[in-house]
Amino acid sequence: MSDHLSKQFDLELENIRTRILQMGGLVERQVLAAVDAFSSGNLDEMQQVIGNDREVDALEVGIDEDCTLLIARRQPTARDLRLVMAISRIVTDLERVGDKASKIARMSQKLHQSGAQRIPRLSDVHHCGRLASDMLQGSLDSLARMDVDAARRVIGADKAIDAAFNAILRQLITYMMEDPRTISEALDIIWIAKAIERVGDHATNIAENVIYIVSGIDIRHSAVAASKTDEA
Amino acid sequence: MTGAGRWCTRIVLTGVLPVVGLALLVAAIHGVTWGWAVAAVGFMLVVMLQTRRLALLAVWIDGPQPAEVPDSGGAWGEVFRKLARKLRLDARALAEVEASLRSFSEAMDAVPDGLVVLTDDHQVQWANRAAGEHLGIRLPRDRGAIIEQLVRAPGFAEYLSSPAGQSPFILQSPATRSRVYSLRAVPLGERNTLLVSLDVTDARRVEAMRSTFVANVSHELRTPLTVVSGFLEHFGDDSTMSAEQRQQFARLMSEQTRRMLSLVDDLLTLSRLEAEDAPASEEDIDMADLLAQLRAEAEGLSAGRHRLQVSCSGPGLRGNRHELHSAFGNLVSNAVRYTPAGGDIRIRWKLRAGIGVFSVRDSGVGIAAEHLPRLTERFYRVDRGRSRDTGGTGLGLAIVKHILLRHQAALRIDSQPGAGSNFRAEFPAWRLQPQRSTAVQADGEAEASAGR
Repeated sequence: MSDHLSKQFDLELENIRTRILQMGGLVERQVLAAVDAFSSGNLDEMQQVIGNDREVDALEVGIDEDCTLLIARRQPTARDLRLVMAISRIVTDLERVGDKASKIARMSQKLHQSGAQRIPRLSDVHHCGRLASDMLQGSLDSLARMDVDAARRVIGADKAIDAAFNAILRQLITYMMEDPRTISEALDIIWIAKAIERVGDHATNIAENVIYIVSGIDIRHSAVAASKTDEA
Repeated sequence: MTGAGRWCTRIVLTGVLPVVGLALLVAAIHGVTWGWAVAAVGFMLVVMLQTRRLALLAVWIDGPQPAEVPDSGGAWGEVFRKLARKLRLDARALAEVEASLRSFSEAMDAVPDGLVVLTDDHQVQWANRAAGEHLGIRLPRDRGAIIEQLVRAPGFAEYLSSPAGQSPFILQSPATRSRVYSLRAVPLGERNTLLVSLDVTDARRVEAMRSTFVANVSHELRTPLTVVSGFLEHFGDDSTMSAEQRQQFARLMSEQTRRMLSLVDDLLTLSRLEAEDAPASEEDIDMADLLAQLRAEAEGLSAGRHRLQVSCSGPGLRGNRHELHSAFGNLVSNAVRYTPAGGDIRIRWKLRAGIGVFSVRDSGVGIAAEHLPRLTERFYRVDRGRSRDTGGTGLGLAIVKHILLRHQAALRIDSQPGAGSNFRAEFPAWRLQPQRSTAVQADGEAEASAGR
């Protein structure tokens, strides 16, 4: 980080960064636990994920408040302002990811409790979940290290998740066509897969914000992002 | 002070005195005015000479090689030489320090435990190579980074900021999730912290295996014990039991105790196999003879319920006869037990592409593909009920695998549910005796049917 006359200011900025990364660590584990619970059918783990979501929400409120206070008190400029703005956006993304994790857990619970298991717990869903949590981890690492190259790699990985999601969809459609009794179960699994796919999207957002902090370029919604990642 | 005084004397002797002497000489010959002039010019020359040497010194000291001492005589020359020597010594000392630092950091990199030195505000100051594998912290990229930003597992920050002395923090690795690390923070010096990470994946796996093993053994022993103790209670309570009933109970009890005995025997065999790496003694085994023995045992076990085929066309085998007999016997008795009456069992010993293959093929119930990789695990059962009905201990194939490993042989299993199984033990060429006579093969080829 750049030098400041006020050491206190540096400390506050660094603290916010640490806190959001800690929140990221929690959300990361939530996603993994939810996906693992879906595959294993571990009801305790599902319940734990749902319970932990409150903690994620509390962290969101706290960090958002910190950002507002810091802007009001210190009036940051340039890169520092970008950092604070980006963090307040990343907080929202992380909170959404937390919601997705608890949604996956709730859906898994429902699937498990409905009893009839006509569709095997597709290993592709688990694989896709791992991909998404890897992306999330990569985006948080890039935020911790302010590493633009790593951020671009994360954005590039989103394609793999989209492909995996489509593959799951095709498989489930086959099940539904063969036996209409599988439809409600298949729909639930689709919701889970969709939630996982959204986790990948949020990870992409976080990575885009990292690029914004470091280089000041906003690459959201731009084709430039895609072409640049191809080069990287 | 005396040293400085000596230097002054030398400068006076080499610089000042000649000038003064020359000036006095000129003054005596040409008059006082000339004397002063010569003194002035002489001193100027002396000052210029000294200045030049000073400049030389300044240039030389900035230069890269301390070896090239500028050539200058007198007092300055000595200064140069002394400086040069000091520089050389300094350079050598520096090189020594650097070398020892390098070897130290190489040693630290070779340590299998991750080591990270943290400052008092939790910044990474130094880390070894294992820390990169365990925690993803790599130098110089992460020098100065705050550790909580890199290791984000929930609870880690709290662990690090709480006073020392609590149990280690267990971390699922952020880099490779399949591994588990135990982290411990130790105070280092006055303000720093040393974070030590230990790979405990294998230790935890072994721990889990041991506890399931103990649970399995207890469970296996408990079932027959419950039966026996139930009967014994009955004996005590009921005095009006008929002799016939009494006999039947006694028969059931001895059946259960036999099962316990065979379980304990198998356990002892396994632990003995595990304790030693290689068989105590090896001999040349006459396979035709061994197969004949196996056949007799199989006939006894089958009691005429199966069609039995035995063929022996392979060479003799080098190994421990007792162990191999037990391994092959296990495979054969499995085939008999899992093949319904009327099925086929083929026991063969043959040479295939230089490898000795002992195979037992049956037309029994078969095994689904998902069970095959775990079949040789202790107490792993495809179908719990069936295995116990037929008197299995759940350790047979584990013993077979161990014995074959000791003979550098591989166990291969092909099976399909409903279509039967084929268990093959493949022995490397060097364990086989050179083909001596084909006559033995022809004798051993005798096939017979034990069907009804």
